[in-house]
Order: sequence, then structure tokens, then C-alpha cells
Amino acid sequence: MGVTCVCQVPVAEGKSVQQTVDILHKKLEQLGAVKQGSFCVDCETYHATGNVSGQPSKLLYVMHNSETPLSCLALFEGGPCLIADANFDVLMVKLKSHFQNAKGHKVECRGSRYRYCDFLIKVGTVTMSSSARGISVEVEYCPCVVPGDCWNLMKEFMQSFLGPSVPELPSVFAAKPEGLFAPADSVDTMTQYLELFNKLRKLQLPGSNVR
Amino acid sequence: MFHGHSVTSSVSASSRTTEKMADVVNVGVNLDAFSHAISGIQALRSSVSRVFESLKDGMKNRETLEGREKQFIVEFQDNLQAVNRDLNELERLSGLVGRPSESHPLHNSGLLSLDPVQDKTPLYSQLLQAYKWSNKLQYHAGLASSLLNQQSLKRSANQMGASAKRRPKVQPSTLVLPPQYVDDVISRIGRMFPDMTIELFRPNGTSAVLLVTLGKVLKAIVVMRSLFIDRTVVRGFNENVYNDDGKLDIWTKSQYQVFQKVTDHATTALLHYQLPQMPDVVVRSFMTWLRSYIKLFQSSCQRCGRFLQDGLPPTWRDFRTLEAFHDTCRM
Repeated sequence: MGVTCVCQVPVAEGKSVQQTVDILHKKLEQLGAVKQGSFCVDCETYHATGNVSGQPSKLLYVMHNSETPLSCLALFEGGPCLIADANFDVLMVKLKSHFQNAKGHKVECRGSRYRYCDFLIKVGTVTMSSSARGISVEVEYCPCVVPGDCWNLMKEFMQSFLGPSVPELPSVFAAKPEGLFAPADSVDTMTQYLELFNKLRKLQLPGSNVR
Repeated sequence: MFHGHSVTSSVSASSRTTEKMADVVNVGVNLDAFSHAISGIQALRSSVSRVFESLKDGMKNRETLEGREKQFIVEFQDNLQAVNRDLNELERLSGLVGRPSESHPLHNSGLLSLDPVQDKTPLYSQLLQAYKWSNKLQYHAGLASSLLNQQSLKRSANQMGASAKRRPKVQPSTLVLPPQYVDDVISRIGRMFPDMTIELFRPNGTSAVLLVTLGKVLKAIVVMRSLFIDRTVVRGFNENVYNDDGKLDIWTKSQYQVFQKVTDHATTALLHYQLPQMPDVVVRSFMTWLRSYIKLFQSSCQRCGRFLQDGLPPTWRDFRTLEAFHDTCRM
């Protein structure tokens, strides 16, 4: 419920995805973090049918987060979003006529969850159709609710175990006026994950049609 | 009747102590007569045992019954007379022995030294040690209390039992203030700072409980006793301040380590800012100090320059300069 930052970690030179993840785990444990189970974030894509042909159909993303297991989030990229309970998936099945599931485009991010003082760190492997596409790191600073306040603090923390590959302020926060706090729901976190997934999707399949 | 051996040893012990006393006081005990009296006792004992022995032996063998009886009676009479003689002798000697000195400087405790078995019951030496120790303790306690009284650190109106009788102090009037006055002071302070809101509750009687919301950083619950700050709990902005039945939760600690640390620092602050005669100045100083936490997550430590130390931001605010330091970096 604090300020969350999701970023991508490039795979280390000459190492596999799993090895890079292991290096990150070791660095975290050296820092003093305690492993607290695992996490999973996934995203399914639906195209909206019934559009005027020629126009690209809108894509609806339905995401789940193990941090909030009873909810699921439905959002259009850059558009409105909806937080519903877990039965929303069943509803989507009923809405088959309006939204078609793009089955091959399900993206998942699984990994371990660490706790260090008031920080929650999740290091995960992003997989699409069971092939690892990249590494994601989510850092959450729980006590603070204003992203602008604690950004420097979080950056310093991320530097301590990520090294040089520290991201800039996520665009979700840059878009908000100064001083507005992150609401208690997980919209900002999931938006960041969605951006990451889309980036990874486009990277690996440069020519494919994402419709 | 004493056992002969222990009597002699106690005589030697008491003679040692009495020899020490001899410098100070006239020895009223005649030592010669004492030893004569002891041998007199031994003589008496032997003559009494002779009486019982002759009784035990019964009549000796003689030719006639009369002769036997006569012999027995004569023997018995002799033995009893011997007992009588020895008893008289003992009485005469005990008169000579005299009384121990009346002006006993050791009184009752000295009597403990008279018949000890030093190895098994070292009562007297332990008694002396205990007495010396308690004297020293009293002396040091007196010194300590005079030093501590120089710095008046009391936060309550209760006097200590002894001094209450000597200086009957009136309970300071600042402890019994009308609630309306307290409300006024608090609302004035609340208006002083734009980014800090103070709400006043009275859930239990006349003690005020304040809910201080500082920007979007923290919420502090301050329990007061008239205008004195008693206790404080600091929690995060997103944490719950009310418990299940809708009342302010003044006991639960914060779930975040940073705010647990800030709670500890706030408790130190409320003990630091003290001025019994002007409690509203104290509350104002405390609120000014608390307000410096508006930049809790934005400030870096003045000493080491970093944001994080062991995962915590600089949680300490100096009481005079309000500069931010890590808990481990503060001077």
C-alpha cells in the first residue's frame, strides 16, 4: 500500500535469466532481506470485437496480482480501469461475444518476495508461452504514500542491489501533480507491470501482429 | 551444667574479649575464682555421680543383713554429705566470681559473641559486617539524593513521603486546568501550522487525546494529562487509527519500523521538552519539533549524507536545530 516501482533488469552478460535472478537473490540476502514466499502477476489480453473494420481494435487487459488475490484489474492501455473481484474472469467468459481472448498472449511474472525493513522487493521472471522473456523487479516502500517524497530514498535503495541499472521515476508518477498520493488500490503498480509486459512482448516479436 | 570442654573454650573466648575490654572497663570477673569455681563444679558433679553409683550398686556383700544395710546407709550418707560440701564450696566461689561488668558496651549484640562456634555459626562477625555495610549504604544514598535533588526531574505533583511533611508544597496549579483552557491552547497551536491538523478527543474523562495529522506523512496520537504530554504513538498515514469499536486506538504500535523509531524519538522529545510552570510553551515546542517530520522521506542525513541506513531514513530530529539525522548518526 505504499509507493511501488516496477522496473526491468537486463540479463547479465553471458548469463542466463535464471542465473541473473539468482545473483539478485544473493545480493538481497547479503543486504539482510528475508525471503517471504513467492508472488505471481499475470496478464491476459482480450480484443474487443464489433469494431468498425480498419480501426485497430481496443485491447482489454485483465490482470491478477497475488498481493491482492481476491481482486482482478481490467484496463485499457492508457484508458479507464476497473477493479473487480475474482469472479470477473467468469464474467469475461460470458462476454465472449464482445471480447475475444487472445490465448497466445498471456504473460506471467513469477518469482520470490523479499522483505527488508519497510521495503518489499519482488524479483520475478517474465514468461510468455513458457519462454522467459526478461526479469522484473518491483520495489515497494510501504510507509510512504507520496511518490514524489520518497523517490530519492527508493532510488538509493535500488542502487544498493541493482547497481547501475536504476530506472527513472515511473511515468505514472511523473504524470501526477506534485504531492498527490498513490491511492490504496494497486492501479499504479499494475499499470507499470502492463507497460513492462508490453515492452517485453514487443522486444521479442518485433514483426508480429499483436492484434 | 556445661560440658567441661566447651566451658573452658568459652572461658578462653570470653577472656579474650574481656581482656580487650579491660583497657576500657574494670574487669569485674575474678579469673582465679572463676577457674576454682569450675573445678568446684567438676567436684560436685563427681560426688553426685558417686551417689547414684552407690545407689546403683546396691548393698555390698556382708555377713548379716543388718551389716549390709548399715554399710549402705553409711556410704549413702557420706556421699550426700560430700555433695552438700561441694555445693557449699561452689556457692562460696560463685560469690567470689563477681558479676560481669554492667556497663556492657556491646549490649545485646555482644552477647552473641560470647558463645560462638566460629566456624559453623559466625553470627557476630556477620552482624558486624552487615552493620558496616548498611551504614555505608545510608551514607551513599544520602549523597546520591542530594545530587539528584539539584536537578528537578519530576513530572508529577506527588511529593516523597518524608519531604511532604517538612515542606508541604501545594500541588502545582498547572496540573488542574479547566478543559476549556486546554481546548483553547490546543486549537491555537493547531492554527499555527498550516500543514498540521490537530483533533481533540476526550474518550476517557478529562484527559485529552490529540490526533495530529502531519501532511500525508504520519498520524500521531498524543495522550495528555491536563496540558502535560503523557504518551505518544506515531503511525503511518495509511494506517488505521481507530480500533474496532470506533474509538481511537492509543496502544497499537505502528506496523512499519520507521514509525516505531519515530515513536521512540517522540517519547524522548516529550521527556526533553519540560517546563512545569509554562506547559503551553512545552506543547508548542513539541508540536514544532513534530512538524519537522513533514520531510521524513525527503531529507537526507546531515551527517552521512545518505537517505538510508539499515533501511531507515533519518528519523532523528535534533531538539534545538531540527536537523535530520539517522538514529545511528546523531551526535
